[in-house]
Amino acid sequence: MNRFEKAAAAAVALMLLAAAAIFLYAPTDALQGPVQRIFYLHVSSAIAAYGCFAVVLVGGAIYLRNGSLVADRFARAGALVGLVFTTVTLVMGMIWAKPIWGTFWTWDARLTSTLVLWIIYAGYLLVRQLAEPGRQAARFAAVVGIFGFIDVPVVHFSVTWWRTQHPGSIIVNDALPPEMLATFLFTMACTLVLAAVMIAIRYRIETLADGPVPETAKVLAAVSAGEAEPVQ
Amino acid sequence: MIYLVTAYAFAVVVLGGYLLWSLRSLRDLENRGI
Repeated sequence: MNRFEKAAAAAVALMLLAAAAIFLYAPTDALQGPVQRIFYLHVSSAIAAYGCFAVVLVGGAIYLRNGSLVADRFARAGALVGLVFTTVTLVMGMIWAKPIWGTFWTWDARLTSTLVLWIIYAGYLLVRQLAEPGRQAARFAAVVGIFGFIDVPVVHFSVTWWRTQHPGSIIVNDALPPEMLATFLFTMACTLVLAAVMIAIRYRIETLADGPVPETAKVLAAVSAGEAEPVQ
Repeated sequence: MIYLVTAYAFAVVVLGGYLLWSLRSLRDLENRGI
């Protein structure tokens, strides 16, 4: 068992503890019944996705600044893992919506902006997949990743900026009983650990897939970082 | 109850599937000695 497999096993163990808290510790919601338990992982996945897309933003900005391949790999890893968590958020939300709203989908601002977020980062990964690998593709993807992040605050504040069917934030409004809040915070922490482990594994995959860095790429990165002077 | 089970089953399949797939990809790359 290598260190990545050990980290993955630890993250899975934490998620099992979170599942125990969700199904055994948290009280059943008086209004919605057991289906309200979807909330814990639905919201935690959304927060993990925000974190992953923040990695894409920071990685892209560093790459554009100094051509760091490490930053670019972190950005690639963050985009894929963020897309996985956004998929979980969207689908769990849709399944929760059916018994509560009577429909799987409505073109509400929160749902629509989250779908747009999914499309932006799927597009980011498509650019990386289809474009010729190299600095041009990495630069273009970094720009997409940076501008794509604009949608994250739009998703988050959509429930306050527009009148939506999706409920507003119940965490900041202090609307959760203590047991539910504790379960949510624990699930969120475990989900963030899982996301971090997934990014670390994906970063290692990207590093191995890139292969040894050619000397020319090292020189170009050093020139763009101002650590070396181009030969005239 | 069916909605709760379906939602968590979906999450387990997606998150667990992704984690297993990435660990397998990593092991393949490391075994190839890339």
